[in-house]
Amino acid sequence: MSFDSSQIGAIAPLSIVIVAGLAVLMLEAFAGGKSRRYLMGVTVVAAVIAMGVQYMNIVGVAPGASNYVFSGALNMDRYAGVFGLMFLANAALIAMLAPDYMREHGFEFGEFYALVLFGSAGMMIMAAATDFLSIFIGIETMSLAVYVLTGVWRKNAKSSEGAMKYFIVGSFATAILLYGMALVYGATGSFSLSVIAAAPPNVTGQAIFIIGMLLILVAMGFKIAAVPFHMWAPDAYEGAPTPVTAFMAAGVKAAGFAVLMRLFGTAFGHTELIYGASGWAQILAIIAVATMTLGNLAALRQENIKRMLAYSSISHAGYLLLGVVASATVGASARSAVMFYLVAYTFTTIGAFGVVAWISSKNDERLQLDGWAGLASRHPGAALAMAIAMLSLGGLPPTGGFFAKFYLFRAVLERSDFWSVFLVIVAVANSAIAIYYYLRVVTAMYFREVGREPKPLKSVPMAAALTIATLATLALGLMPGWLFSAVQGAVFGPLGK
Amino acid sequence: MLLSLTTFLPLIGALFLLMLPKEEAGLLKGAAFAFSLLTFIVSLGLIGVSPTGFSSVVDLAWVEPLGIRFHMGVDGLSLWLILLTTFLMPIVFLSSWNSIDKKAREFVICLLVLETGMIGTFAALDMFFFYIFWEVMLIPMYLIIGIWGGERRLYASIKFVIYTMVGSLLMIIAILYLYVQNHELTGIWTFDYETLRQVVLPHGAQVYCFLAFALAFCIKVPLFPFHTWLPDAHVEAPTAGSVILAAVMLKFGGYGLLRFAYPMFPWAAAQVSPYLAILAVTGIIYGSLVAFAQTDIKKLIAYSSVAHLGFVVLGISMWNQKAIDGAVYQMLAHGISTGALFLCVGVLYERRHTRRIDEYGGIATVMPKFLGIFLIITMASVGLPTLSGFVGEFLILLGTFQAYDTWTGLPNFFSHPKILAMLATTGVIFAAVYMLYLVQKVMFGPLDNPKNKHLKDLSARELVYLIPMALMAFWLGIYPATFLGDIDPAVGQIMGDFKSKYAASQDDGPPSRMDKPEGADAGKPTDPDIADRARVRPGLPTGHPSVAPTQMPAPQKNNE
Repeated sequence: MSFDSSQIGAIAPLSIVIVAGLAVLMLEAFAGGKSRRYLMGVTVVAAVIAMGVQYMNIVGVAPGASNYVFSGALNMDRYAGVFGLMFLANAALIAMLAPDYMREHGFEFGEFYALVLFGSAGMMIMAAATDFLSIFIGIETMSLAVYVLTGVWRKNAKSSEGAMKYFIVGSFATAILLYGMALVYGATGSFSLSVIAAAPPNVTGQAIFIIGMLLILVAMGFKIAAVPFHMWAPDAYEGAPTPVTAFMAAGVKAAGFAVLMRLFGTAFGHTELIYGASGWAQILAIIAVATMTLGNLAALRQENIKRMLAYSSISHAGYLLLGVVASATVGASARSAVMFYLVAYTFTTIGAFGVVAWISSKNDERLQLDGWAGLASRHPGAALAMAIAMLSLGGLPPTGGFFAKFYLFRAVLERSDFWSVFLVIVAVANSAIAIYYYLRVVTAMYFREVGREPKPLKSVPMAAALTIATLATLALGLMPGWLFSAVQGAVFGPLGK
Repeated sequence: MLLSLTTFLPLIGALFLLMLPKEEAGLLKGAAFAFSLLTFIVSLGLIGVSPTGFSSVVDLAWVEPLGIRFHMGVDGLSLWLILLTTFLMPIVFLSSWNSIDKKAREFVICLLVLETGMIGTFAALDMFFFYIFWEVMLIPMYLIIGIWGGERRLYASIKFVIYTMVGSLLMIIAILYLYVQNHELTGIWTFDYETLRQVVLPHGAQVYCFLAFALAFCIKVPLFPFHTWLPDAHVEAPTAGSVILAAVMLKFGGYGLLRFAYPMFPWAAAQVSPYLAILAVTGIIYGSLVAFAQTDIKKLIAYSSVAHLGFVVLGISMWNQKAIDGAVYQMLAHGISTGALFLCVGVLYERRHTRRIDEYGGIATVMPKFLGIFLIITMASVGLPTLSGFVGEFLILLGTFQAYDTWTGLPNFFSHPKILAMLATTGVIFAAVYMLYLVQKVMFGPLDNPKNKHLKDLSARELVYLIPMALMAFWLGIYPATFLGDIDPAVGQIMGDFKSKYAASQDDGPPSRMDKPEGADAGKPTDPDIADRARVRPGLPTGHPSVAPTQMPAPQKNNE
């Protein structure tokens, strides 16, 4: 498993992203007082090229086969490939949302694009990581970039507050993660997921192993903002500049789930670890129910649209956790359902936050729902994009969100015992509650008269990003077949068994 | 092909309308009318369904690994409901010609998308697509109520969506459960209706699945006590919305019970039926009494719908051929009569912009043509013989009265459905009371409100859409054989399936299937008579009602 030239292709997308990030930093240093808009172009082009290479890589690896690089630290299999494509698309769309938003609000930094690229590189490492060290490097690369991005709007007190909270809670979570990893290492003597997975029951049954596993679970709970580790999320989401919020809601969450599924599907995949006295399946099931219920109930009460979307994002983490729980029993089909959900959720979230970013103008972010009244009669296109995003988040056909939810529930019910049915009923009840607050936005835009005249940003890249996100959301609902076969072939290799 | 065309022609029309300039309201409405008329003409080609199995079948792959296929077909049950839909749509467009000025393009697009959703729901034979179409209906109706509705439209539109969603989300769990059970029995993933209904679940699971389906459908019907969204939605919706809601969308409840809930979970259906019947009779009486107390015309009609559709659920829950024939017939008749009643209210509302009964009085003297139409329609709603309402209610009451002889699955306390029939009959009398009260208060009496003195009588456009409704009311009342000729065999077949499956699920055991899975072919039944096979399956106890589903006299004879 030593490094050789044939593996250059496998790590090419990652390298392209990192080199592009460094290039952006260099270009920024020489930009002087000029506009930074072209840096967006650099970012998008780099992401698109990396996507092309990534696609070739996916095609080159057989479904379920492993493709180790860096002495087994990363596994560039189809699982990492599909997640990577998603992160790259995410990075490109976020970069397109940013330039005019930043200029309008007076903080145009070229570093923004570099941080988006570095954060995405961290996510790609996370999706491929098969070793505690690479997991840690991935998480930290991503997190550090996102901490800074959250606080990048320096003059805005809420942005700084959100960044501070996120940073402190995030560092705390990192410490817990490290502690957990250290305990597991103490029990097994290895960082490698495959070695840990092969550990005999007398090792995995030890208290330090189980405590280590649970600490890692807690740390991942922080990263994906699962209840009760979600407290940072609403403030960080609200404070962050809106394109960054989209980056967090879509990318950071998806990367967290990529790690969670691979880690718990391989290293902690023993039956007794899943279902034992402190097995993670039960714990995650409880966390899932709490997360979706609390997220939804809190979202019902929000008047601020960004906070509403933040809580809604928490509740979506709950649905996704249900898929992770199901992956313990039904394996591949639940994992592919989670992946499908994440792809649909990424595009939908970018669409929703994109419109939120688009409607804001200097000194008036228009985050209160009242500010959205009658938007449909003034800007029908943007209102339509937002309405489709809301319907998709609410899980109504013909959007990607519907099919994602359907596919996820189907995977959970594949093992139709009492608890699976119970969990799906809870999730379905939550979906019904959620319809209410998603439709409030549609109601405000379509049914009410115009209050304050909206003064949205005029931005071509933003409009393009919104169009892409909206069309992708619809396409995933109308023609889910292609993505479906992609994610079905993308579950990770024999190590997972 | 014909069926796909009927289903998607309105959607194609909606896409076409997106390309027209939005200022040209007349052109938009004309184009929408033309598309809906074309859809109606195309849908006439569906007439002449085979008495067994489904006709005009479309079966295309969609997401193959999940077993989702675009599978549609019509039988005698869905045929006339689809035709009711396509028949009403052009009428709805004509009726809203002048009343909708705001956002005309969005309005007609919503209606056309809604039409596709409605036809698709009636025709879908794949449970996944059934669910998709079912949900697709929701959003256009929500927009129609919310954008073009009355004062409390925000409340009414959200309430409509939440009520419907709660039911339908539980239904999708039951669908998925059935789908997984079928996979465990056959190893094949499929959402195909004809395959899934062969699955015989253990008793407990049947009850839960039946309740999940039945809740979705009973909310739609709406069955007392799930009816409270209906008066709000009806009152706040614009005329077009009320007409479609009353005439077509409420029918999905009865249709769903007949097509899905009863045949798929017969044992549970037998256990739950008595309670449904009691709720139905409660709804009949309650709806009638509340209707009588209303001061708002639309609310009065909305509560009369609760009563009329209580008859439908009563008929279905009795589960004998006459009662079910009557229930299906009542759905058609209610579609025509209540749809027309809302159109009439729309005519009045366009002139006076009020729905309060006491604002009117003596309208007959200024609007004589309107009086004629209005009388025909109200009498059809009351159930006067020779008009549409009579046939269905008569068959339901007759079937209910005789249910004791044919229906063996009921618990003991319920072996006297005659009492229910008697109670339900009072609903017919009450209907006469509140409808005649409405006619008297609105049409007759002194013309003492000065605002009413110069009302114009019906225009040519209004006559064009009201006269076909009145003619249909007569047709349904005078020559029911046109419709029952298709309905009766379809109901017979559903009952046959139901009874053989009921016999098979007498013993509480692990999930099983009615037929033997035939390897890879079972996921994709090519044999259109798959249901028939189940019906003539050997080994049924002789003498059980299941072996003679057509033994009962043909219901047409009862009307002569």
